[in-house]
Amino acid sequence: MSLTRIRWMAMVLGVLGVAGVLVLHWLVFFWVGTERTMGIVQRIFYVHVPSAWVTFLAFGITALCGAAYLWLRDERLDWAAQSAAEGGLVFGAIMLTSGPLWAAYAWGTPWTWEPRLTLTLLMWFVFLGYFLVRASAEDRLAGKRMAAVIGVLGALLIPLVHVSVLWFPSLHPQPVVLNIDEGPTLDSDMLITLMVGLLAFTLIFFSIVIFRYGLEHLRYQHALETRDQPRAA
Amino acid sequence: MSGSPSAAPRTHAPVLEAASLVRDYGPVRAVDHVSFRLGAGEFLSVFGPNGAGKTSLLRLLAGGLRPTTGEVRVSGIPLTIGDRAARGRIGILSHLSFLYGRLTARENLLFHGRLHGLEDLDSRVPDRLRDVGLERYADSRVDTLSRGTVQRLAVARALLHDPEIVLLDEPYTGLDAYAGALLQELLSALKHGGRTVVMVTHNLGRGLELADRVAIQVRGRFVFEARRAELDAGGLERSYRRAVEEGA
Amino acid sequence: MTVYLRQVAAIVRKDLLLELRTRERLAAMGGLTVLVAILFHFAIDQGLVRMQQLAAGLLWMTILFGGMLGMGRTFEMEREHGAIQGLLASPIPLDGIYLAKVISNFVLVALIEVIALAAYWLFFGFDYGGDPLLLAGVLAVATLGVVAVTTLFSAISAQTTMGQTLLPILIFPLLVPVVIFGVTATGRIFASRPAQEVEGSLYLLAAFAVLSLAAGAILFRYVVEE
Repeated sequence: MSLTRIRWMAMVLGVLGVAGVLVLHWLVFFWVGTERTMGIVQRIFYVHVPSAWVTFLAFGITALCGAAYLWLRDERLDWAAQSAAEGGLVFGAIMLTSGPLWAAYAWGTPWTWEPRLTLTLLMWFVFLGYFLVRASAEDRLAGKRMAAVIGVLGALLIPLVHVSVLWFPSLHPQPVVLNIDEGPTLDSDMLITLMVGLLAFTLIFFSIVIFRYGLEHLRYQHALETRDQPRAA
Repeated sequence: MSGSPSAAPRTHAPVLEAASLVRDYGPVRAVDHVSFRLGAGEFLSVFGPNGAGKTSLLRLLAGGLRPTTGEVRVSGIPLTIGDRAARGRIGILSHLSFLYGRLTARENLLFHGRLHGLEDLDSRVPDRLRDVGLERYADSRVDTLSRGTVQRLAVARALLHDPEIVLLDEPYTGLDAYAGALLQELLSALKHGGRTVVMVTHNLGRGLELADRVAIQVRGRFVFEARRAELDAGGLERSYRRAVEEGA
Repeated sequence: MTVYLRQVAAIVRKDLLLELRTRERLAAMGGLTVLVAILFHFAIDQGLVRMQQLAAGLLWMTILFGGMLGMGRTFEMEREHGAIQGLLASPIPLDGIYLAKVISNFVLVALIEVIALAAYWLFFGFDYGGDPLLLAGVLAVATLGVVAVTTLFSAISAQTTMGQTLLPILIFPLLVPVVIFGVTATGRIFASRPAQEVEGSLYLLAAFAVLSLAAGAILFRYVVEE
């Protein structure tokens, strides 16, 4: 794919995504009904859930592209994996800040060891390790391979981590019982708002990832061009 | 040096062949279309400034680095990165000793012998220690030995499994004149054993002493190749200077 | 196959010989284990909680930190004088190198587990329950999982400028299952509960160990390959 096509694609997705986020906010603030038990803070839900979804998506892309990179050694796969991981780190941070804000009001405590919450926190740390290894690798190429290994191993072990965290409460009865059930099934206006949120966040995520991918592409091209010129004396 | 290279399929193919080897590190091209063929007993010295891709070339030849394109053939058989058995036919001597300081000379050789699956270590290890003149130090810990002594032990390690192909990566680095001369003697025995040798170095004098063929590598490429007989030391130096200046 | 096993054995033997000669990793790990126990004595108000209630958790935290300390050096010690290059240039398959390192690390961590159990018994009179065989089994299986993951990541951290400081961020998120099921299983053994209550945790620990060992054996080559 040429650089201009990459930029163009990222641009279109970005514009659509931003438009989607604007619509989302209008829906969240002026249109969607207020949830009965949790009240107004439940509206954080429409940001929280889409960012969680995008984080999981990023995790999957990082692992798949990482595995493919180890297999095929195509630089482009590494760019994709890295770009997705960066997106995952950002959206993971959004999720991890919006979650406790919501929980502080809805459940009366900013942090609960709710399985999905715990899992996403651990996943965020896997992303962090991914970037620390890339950044501190003595050999840049080895850094790419090692990061890919982290992505793949993370994806392999995360299901087990999830199962353990899920079963943890049944292993150790919790002293405080929090009502963290799903609550009533979503009303249609809530469902529509959530869908808009999911779509908008996904578009923005891919826009960022493709922009980032384009940047790596550009760097690579630049390095290629300077390599064929004689070095300055 | 006792022991001849282990029996290998006798074919007409050269013992070591590089076929249009290319290796990229991302956008950086470290080895650029290098080709050569070496028969048994041939000694190739590759000269080049730092960063010319000499070490990458050697790693490609050792099967430790996968070529971006092109291939290395050992007796006509392509060397692949997963082909661990082919490594038994290659010995590597570097300026790093690859030895464990806290183990004795004997223990180090035993360890390497076991890695190579050698059976006759009880006799082979003392023999090889004697070959490099280190029988007195058999039970000394390596970290108590001098740099020159360690390098001689490294020679014994590199040749322990009687490789047909020996790769030398700046083996003289850090040696004083005396130790260098001793090493020179050990390495010259390699040729008489019928081994195929590739040495990379930026030391023109040392490289020329043993070589049958020389090459100059600049920015990944072989920019100059010649037979030893066609060259005198002054000629090589002039070619080297010209190649490096043109390349830079 | 026998050649493969002999090559693996050669590395294990070399590692243990080196450890026997220097005792540096064992001293650091064992020292940390005992010192952590001493610190726990002062860190926990035994007028409020009984140490025995915390026994399984304390034991596992000690093992994890002590193990990480020693295992973090697995490949750093191979880099001295380029020894790792000698290993990589030898005919042993790369998964064999990983396997050998897992085995020698397992021996090391098992030793500090013995030290930890002894220290906690000595200092706090912990009751380890009535089934030492089951306890040994649970410890072995859980340790295998920890060692499999940590050995792979120590090969990664050794190739970074951050070195061992990187290790906790890399391994702890993935070792959560071992902590959960390890603590549950050992806690129940300490409380002399019936073996059936431990079974489920043991299976999950085994699943984790098998999965991470297989993944480690496959992925290791990408970590060390030049």
